[in-house]
Amino acid sequence: MAVAGTSGTGTRSTGSMVAAASTNNVTSFQRRGPRASGADSGCSRLVSIAGTRRSVRNGQLLVSTGLPALDQFLGGGLAVGTVLLIEEDKYNIYSPLLFNYFLAEGIVSGHALLVASAKEDPADILQKLPAPLIDHSYKKECDEDICGHKMESDIKMKIAWRYQLFPKMEGRPVLSSGFGHDYDISKRIPQELIETSKWHGFFLPEKISSTFNVESCSLTSGYMKLLQFIQNIIYEEGFDGSNPQKKQKNILRIGIQNLGSPLWGDDICCAENCDASHSLTKFLYILRALLRTSLSACIITVPTHLIQNKAVIARVTNLSDTVVGLESFIGSEKETNPLYKDYHGLIHIRQIPRLNNLIYDISDVKDLAFKLKKKLFTIEVRENFYV
Amino acid sequence: MLESLLAVGGLMLLRDSVEWEGRSLLKALVKKSALRGEQVHVLGCEVSEEEFREGFDSNINSRLVYHDLFRDPLSWSKPGKALPGGPLEALRALDKRTVSGPATIALDSLSWLLHHLPCPTLCQTLHALSRQDSCPGDTPPGEQVRVLGLLHEELHGPGPLGALSSLAQTEVTLSGMMGQASAQILCRRPRQRPTHQTQWFSILPDFSLELQAEPPLESQPRSDPHTPSVDPTTHLTFNLHLSKKEREAKDSLTLPFQFSSEKQQALLRPGLGQATSHIFYEPDAYDDLDQEDPDDDLDV
Repeated sequence: MAVAGTSGTGTRSTGSMVAAASTNNVTSFQRRGPRASGADSGCSRLVSIAGTRRSVRNGQLLVSTGLPALDQFLGGGLAVGTVLLIEEDKYNIYSPLLFNYFLAEGIVSGHALLVASAKEDPADILQKLPAPLIDHSYKKECDEDICGHKMESDIKMKIAWRYQLFPKMEGRPVLSSGFGHDYDISKRIPQELIETSKWHGFFLPEKISSTFNVESCSLTSGYMKLLQFIQNIIYEEGFDGSNPQKKQKNILRIGIQNLGSPLWGDDICCAENCDASHSLTKFLYILRALLRTSLSACIITVPTHLIQNKAVIARVTNLSDTVVGLESFIGSEKETNPLYKDYHGLIHIRQIPRLNNLIYDISDVKDLAFKLKKKLFTIEVRENFYV
Repeated sequence: MLESLLAVGGLMLLRDSVEWEGRSLLKALVKKSALRGEQVHVLGCEVSEEEFREGFDSNINSRLVYHDLFRDPLSWSKPGKALPGGPLEALRALDKRTVSGPATIALDSLSWLLHHLPCPTLCQTLHALSRQDSCPGDTPPGEQVRVLGLLHEELHGPGPLGALSSLAQTEVTLSGMMGQASAQILCRRPRQRPTHQTQWFSILPDFSLELQAEPPLESQPRSDPHTPSVDPTTHLTFNLHLSKKEREAKDSLTLPFQFSSEKQQALLRPGLGQATSHIFYEPDAYDDLDQEDPDDDLDV
């Protein structure tokens, strides 16, 4: 170990230092045990699954939600084993977009998918996913966008001209390869990507039998069947580690659409004091238990604007881990309000989980708005001119 | 726009109230579909068959297939005679009956069905009705099944109304002014913004639809919606406005860190092939450009 004798002194030139570091460890300490191969310098003994990364704060395994901007506001991504609840906007236009981004990210990263819906056939949902953008074309669009901004701001900024070139959004996070991709909503995902992916669909009208029996347990039969389906998939495909897997570990992404709407057989949207008021809350509790014991992440959209009982909304929020609410301006008086004229709606991040941690991992920004451009769904910090 | 309503498939809700009844509009739409050669099924729950068929001429009446739930809703008469199993079975039978081709199903009223069936069950059945079970994939728009449902909105709370509107592709709310009926039409396409439109119309005695322009508004006892706007900048002890001269003076003022444009560009784009650093000197207004050395005066 010729290097060991002379290392530790700081008087070497940079060239030889670099050469030494690339061939051997610079220190004289040697790692005992099997050396981790490969290029993952940060996770030496941990298995790295495609499309995931470790959080920089507490080492939690994270997956991307499909929107890098949303990942940033959720503390880096969605933690594996947790539920992301999206409170739908009133006309249900923007929440399917977030749902689709999540599923598209799963396909592009090679994760397994489970799509459950009572309204649309899961095969149709998968056909409508957005197409992933190749990196350089997206950057070109962003640069054009910034240049466009710069032309106007050249004239405007008389006093603060040093800030002209700053982008209007908060700094886009640096995407390491494999985590977080950009998508083009105007194009559909190519068919071969769907075919090579592994997905399972649950469409309620097909699964439920035609005779409507009175349920004896307090879970609606639709929810019960969905939970059994999820449990079967997790067990059979080995996401919970029960079957010793010979193949590579993978993440299961579960997407459930319009949970709590009357199409699932649940009447919390119809009446204030309903019979099966604990059905949805039980479902969420059992679902979270299933998720915590397996390598999966789940996105659920719930039409909370239809739920009549506020206590149920509070319980549903508490039973989920991350809760994001969408409020669109269509049809409300905010549509014509000049404060909101650049945006299509507001995003409220209502809850962020505290997983194995004492503090919350939230950003300081609370005032977020979204805009649906032709190809992108962007989330921006709302520029508040009155502060 | 009311004509193009029938081109869209799916569930259409007709919300009426005590002042503006919707059954005549329902019958007008039924007549229109029948005249276009579609199959029309009517599930009648609130009025008798004779009353519903009244006003239609014979060729329309021959196209209407009427399923009667009014006379014997609980099937007390001989079982097996007509529609056993109550309203739910009747709806399911409708679902299986529409075999091919475009069809219109009119539900005479959804309010009656909501009172007799649990709301989630009704929503699921309606969803199954308005979907295309027989033809998977995209069917051409003319071939779809349309479900027209009459809903008396004053009979229900916000829960069932919200649940049914979230299912509906089109929602027509009837209202009006001074004897003139209007329809507020809210059209929800799956991935697009909902469109809102108001259409004034009237129904002729033979149940054909006549569209009208908006009635003149003069004789409206309208409460003045605009309170006279108060200008908050009057009666202030300080001045918030700039006169023209003041504005010119403000624009021509040189700010302390306002550099010439080449200096600005150079500072904004640093490091482009700069081996040495540049010094930009722009003399200020107070700078003395005298080249003499002021220390020459000293006799030291």
